[in-house]
Amino acid sequence: MGKVARQMVEQAGLDVNVLLDKLVRAAGAEFTTFYYYTILRVNAIGFDGEGLKEIIEDARIEDRNHFEALTPRIYELGGALPRDIRQFADIAGCPDAYLPQNPRDMTAMLNVLVEAERCAIRTYTDICNYTAGKDHRTYQLSLAILHEEVEHEAWFSEYLGEGPSGHFRRGTPGTSPFARMFMSADIGQ
Amino acid sequence: MAFVRIARVEEIPRGHTAFFRIGNKPLLVARVDEDIFALHGVCPHRGNPLEGATLLDHLLDCPWHHFQYDVRTGENYFPKNVYPADLPQLQAQLRPLRRYAVEIRDGEIWVDL
Repeated sequence: MGKVARQMVEQAGLDVNVLLDKLVRAAGAEFTTFYYYTILRVNAIGFDGEGLKEIIEDARIEDRNHFEALTPRIYELGGALPRDIRQFADIAGCPDAYLPQNPRDMTAMLNVLVEAERCAIRTYTDICNYTAGKDHRTYQLSLAILHEEVEHEAWFSEYLGEGPSGHFRRGTPGTSPFARMFMSADIGQ
Repeated sequence: MAFVRIARVEEIPRGHTAFFRIGNKPLLVARVDEDIFALHGVCPHRGNPLEGATLLDHLLDCPWHHFQYDVRTGENYFPKNVYPADLPQLQAQLRPLRRYAVEIRDGEIWVDL
């Protein structure tokens, strides 16, 4: 735990327990999404060649990276992940991204993906709003993750025909161009 | 059932919600443009209070797990729109939010609780 780090946040007027609750639920959503995106990716057979599979893989690995980046901040502030992974999944801040009933329905799969990213955008916008000007480290971390979630939404939205994402593919899936500076684990790049 | 005065309309800015406890009953009031909606103040998903819920057009976003409800009908929008029908155990999470009748009397919000 970072005693002074927590004290600074408290003195700035934030309720650290509220913030920790938001961060743990966000980490839970990243962890469960990583799991569900694994199932979605392996079922995205032949969608736009294998193009969609690669984009799901990019979002999947970056969501795992977000979990990795959030976890140290939770412990720095005196929080902890639940000891029971079932409890962790239950408190995850976004609904589970289930494989559609018909896994060959590409539009249904894209809707699952885009809604999951939209939920993540709402999650990190909320954390950014809560920490702005008060907890600089959590704000910067959440903003970095928000940048990547916004890009993920745009990729899947583009596939749904809602308009161009304005982006080009990452060099390698899971690069995390914004959140990588917060990664404590080796992301293999 | 009786109408109870809750607040003045101008106390709830457009596009915002306000959370009240009337006796022991939690109540959420949402304002979309000039329309006022009153709903039970607890998310049916996990029973968490809807205090701090945000509005995106007509969709109410629960701050706990980001389940979304249409304030005009109380029906769940997300994740109902993506939850697979072949997993029936999920349907229990998608119960609608109870709605209450609203009357505006001389700029005051009255809700039939």
